[in-house]
Amino acid sequence: MNEQGLIDKLPRERFIEKLPRALPGLLLIVATTVAIRLWVEPWMANAVVFEQKGWLVKVTHLNYILLGIIMGMAYRNVIFGGKLPAVFADGFRLSRLFIKTGIILLGSLYTVQAIVKLGAMAIFLIGGFVILSIVMVLWLGKVFRMERSMTGVMANACSICGVSAAVATAPAVEAKPAHVAYAIATILGFGILTMFISPFLGHALGLNDLQYGAWVGTGILNSGQVLAACLAFNPNVAPGTAVSVGEIWNIMRVISIPFAVFIVTVWYWAGHDNPQRQQKTLTALLVEKFPVFVLGFLGMVLLTSIGAFGDVGIKGGPPASATIKMIRDWMQWIFGIGLVGLGGYIDLKELSQAGGAPFKVGILVGVTKYVLALIVVLVIRDYLIEI
Amino acid sequence: MAQNKQGSETVASAEKGKMTLFRDDRQEDLGAILFSVLIVAIIVVLTMK
Repeated sequence: MNEQGLIDKLPRERFIEKLPRALPGLLLIVATTVAIRLWVEPWMANAVVFEQKGWLVKVTHLNYILLGIIMGMAYRNVIFGGKLPAVFADGFRLSRLFIKTGIILLGSLYTVQAIVKLGAMAIFLIGGFVILSIVMVLWLGKVFRMERSMTGVMANACSICGVSAAVATAPAVEAKPAHVAYAIATILGFGILTMFISPFLGHALGLNDLQYGAWVGTGILNSGQVLAACLAFNPNVAPGTAVSVGEIWNIMRVISIPFAVFIVTVWYWAGHDNPQRQQKTLTALLVEKFPVFVLGFLGMVLLTSIGAFGDVGIKGGPPASATIKMIRDWMQWIFGIGLVGLGGYIDLKELSQAGGAPFKVGILVGVTKYVLALIVVLVIRDYLIEI
Repeated sequence: MAQNKQGSETVASAEKGKMTLFRDDRQEDLGAILFSVLIVAIIVVLTMK
């Protein structure tokens, strides 16, 4: 039996047993979020720089979200010298739990009617961009003579949402861990750049929340980065704000993971020496790879639509209920905590290892998608549906 | 080499188990749903008249 087989045979520690070990890291993340939101951000809003009150916020557009990510990155890359200490590591591993929980709670910003209204346009645009990215990567993979497994992983990493899509595709196209590693390093490196420059570009171009959310939700690959870019543009969480638009587009893309895995798997095995080995059907992939937290999000949308939490506070309607207001307030804290944790997972040394053909392909496709998404959103801005 | 690095949102994401305290993505998704239910329940009780 190989080493992995032996590891698989070992009794697995349950989540609840690991939780106490996560407390120190979680406390550090929570304390950082509290310090940023209660002290640093208000100080920045009032500080006088260049004889102008609030210059730091107005010019740099730094808010608690970007400050949190920067602080998380500083913990890993500066304060702890490139690696999170063991005592804090497990706490940082809870960051995605917070981000997913926040996205589920975001369901309270929408109604079923709004989702249906937006759905057709979002499916059309997101679907178009997913297919365009896959085709472009498959073509560039051939041009740059990349291994087919590497091309398959890159195709879905570039088309859907970086990490999850790359990992979901890897076994289906016989990818090695290095293929996944290079794909993720390239995609997230590009994503981190776009996460920081998008709010500046959005303000410079005079985009409103609807246009900005649609652009970022289509053009940025990673769910956490879409979230951060939206909240950095406008930290408010309410119907019609950048985060409410960007995340619905992002969710449409996340849902497409099993379909994109299927397309790339079919492409991979069609050119394989032994095409009979392809086993999994689309149904099997849907069962195995569907991101079930999306069901939680849809559940929240449904509960909101039937009025379980009171009025939602849609523009022109009655004000939001106390329950909805509190959900939104807590969401901001949950996202803040999740994104400090996400920053702690960004290793600048590892990002610098991305290179070669996958890097060129990733950057070419990433930039094309980012710029094209902006152009498309500007062209159709009058037709974008407000929710 | 990149594949030897572990424990970050970047390269080591190839090793999914290192990024989450849960066994896998599916478990993490279910954990997020349960956590959301708990949060909503607390908020509903706190805002109950």
